[in-house]
Amino acid sequence: MSKKLLSIRNLKVNIEDKEILKGLDLNIGHGEIHIIMGPNGGGKSTLAYTLMGHPRYEITDGEIKFEDQLINDLSADKKAKKGIFLSFQYPEEIPGVTVEEFLRTAKSSITGEQQRIIPFRKLLKEKMELLEMKEEYANRYLNLGFSGGEKKKNEILQMSILEPKLAILDETDSGLDVDAIRIVAEGVKRLHNENNSVLVITHYHKLLDYLEPDFVHILLDGKIVKTGGIELAKEIDKKGYENIRQEFANK
Amino acid sequence: MVKWKRIGMDLTFPNVPKYTKDFINDMGQPLNIKIYEPSDDISPQGFLGLGNEFLEHIDNNYNSGFTLHVRRRDKIREPIRVEYIMNDENPTVVDKNIIKVDEDSEVTVIIDYKTISDTKAFHNGITKVYAKENSIVNIIKIQRMNESSFNFDSNVAIVEGRGKVNWISVELGSSISGANYTTFLDGEASEGYLSSIYFGDGNRKMDISYSMIHRGPRSISNIDTKGVLMNEARKVFRGNLDFKKGARRAKGNEEEYVILLDPKVKSDSIPGLFCEEDDVEGNHAASAGQLDKNKLFYLMSRGLSERDAKKLIVEASFRPIIDSIPSDELREEINLEVERRFANV
Repeated sequence: MSKKLLSIRNLKVNIEDKEILKGLDLNIGHGEIHIIMGPNGGGKSTLAYTLMGHPRYEITDGEIKFEDQLINDLSADKKAKKGIFLSFQYPEEIPGVTVEEFLRTAKSSITGEQQRIIPFRKLLKEKMELLEMKEEYANRYLNLGFSGGEKKKNEILQMSILEPKLAILDETDSGLDVDAIRIVAEGVKRLHNENNSVLVITHYHKLLDYLEPDFVHILLDGKIVKTGGIELAKEIDKKGYENIRQEFANK
Repeated sequence: MVKWKRIGMDLTFPNVPKYTKDFINDMGQPLNIKIYEPSDDISPQGFLGLGNEFLEHIDNNYNSGFTLHVRRRDKIREPIRVEYIMNDENPTVVDKNIIKVDEDSEVTVIIDYKTISDTKAFHNGITKVYAKENSIVNIIKIQRMNESSFNFDSNVAIVEGRGKVNWISVELGSSISGANYTTFLDGEASEGYLSSIYFGDGNRKMDISYSMIHRGPRSISNIDTKGVLMNEARKVFRGNLDFKKGARRAKGNEEEYVILLDPKVKSDSIPGLFCEEDDVEGNHAASAGQLDKNKLFYLMSRGLSERDAKKLIVEASFRPIIDSIPSDELREEINLEVERRFANV
């Protein structure tokens, strides 16, 4: 009965005329946590970028619906305003713009309300403390000179400020040490509630120790080939993708 | 009429009427300095500015300008503000500004050229800086004349031992704009720095030329230019690092980075490196490009429209230079001016 937040049907996506997603189906309900696992080159990041609306990714077939509205052709800013957020695997460095200014601008754009400096600063400080980020990061240029781990934390900070309905985490756990993974996972848990959903894209299992996914999907060669619960992730962890690959090669 | 080869156009100098506005902004001017009428003096050998025709026109016709003499060991904290404001009654500024800064002293001068009406204004001027030993001279030049005006600006500095000249140039206006900055680093360990931003929009044509001429041993120079071109603007940038005989162990750097926002803009960058000495170090870097698509996507994924994302990246590239201008009011005005030009992106 729960209405779907995101529903993807038969999605086909090309990059420079090469088909990467080959008819992908996925449904995410309100308040659910989904994990997509799969080997490199299977199309995980393509799915993330396509959902966010990168112009390089061309949708050739299928549909993406968010809250029952077709969003295939929406630009990234419009998708962000609808409540979709992507935590980038490789966040861009923007010299000359501080974290605080950037996030205040972003929050103003997304909410349509000009964020006032003092209350926003207070909000930012609270969220940074929760992520165990030093206060000075607010005044540093966005991602400039940040370590890999700091960049990922900064993505989660942005997520917690922008409060999306659907947070897509693209390999957010890669390159993080144990402590950072715990902090990131806690940040994700705080966002997650009965309305907000999370889609975690990963080829590790690290975040799974902290998050309790409702569904685990295996993305192989441009399609979701198997869906299950946490036990599927554990199976992959033990046996790798080879079994599943063979299973589907035989079909 | 002169043929201006650099930009490929014919140019007729207008008659020069009197300029009657006050241009020394006396709000908060320090009292311990003297400002005189511009005097005649010789131009350094080898200085061409924007060209002989322009320099002669100034010498024969100047209608405004000043001589500022800062005495030895005088460190003037407050910037001196000079404003050449052009309107219907005073559409022409031909200015000659001479700034002499004696040993161990320091001064900051802000010179602002702006129009306050739609009149087709004309500016042709020269600013000469003599920085004696161990002095620090900061010159900030702002050009924000309207879209039908002509602007020609020649600047020269002679820097003696351990002296330092910092130029900041902000080029935002005019239909045709020529700006030349030539710094002679004559003394041992003299330093010349030039930071500039330019914004070309509409049909603006810009001719920008910077030269750092190293004569003193261990002299240091740096040119740091950030530009943006949009609509059908055209720009030629020449940056020369010239190491003369005697400039042993001198170092020069130049960097120009321009963002092209439209396919119809035209951007030429011509860096030049000239060496008469072996033991010198000269580096140059120039890059011109569309906005990085991935950066744009990253910003848009956080809710910024394409226009706002572009604006943010441009403002960010300008920011360090705008922030170094020592006046809140001017910084604010320049930011607003940049913002205004984005209104029609």
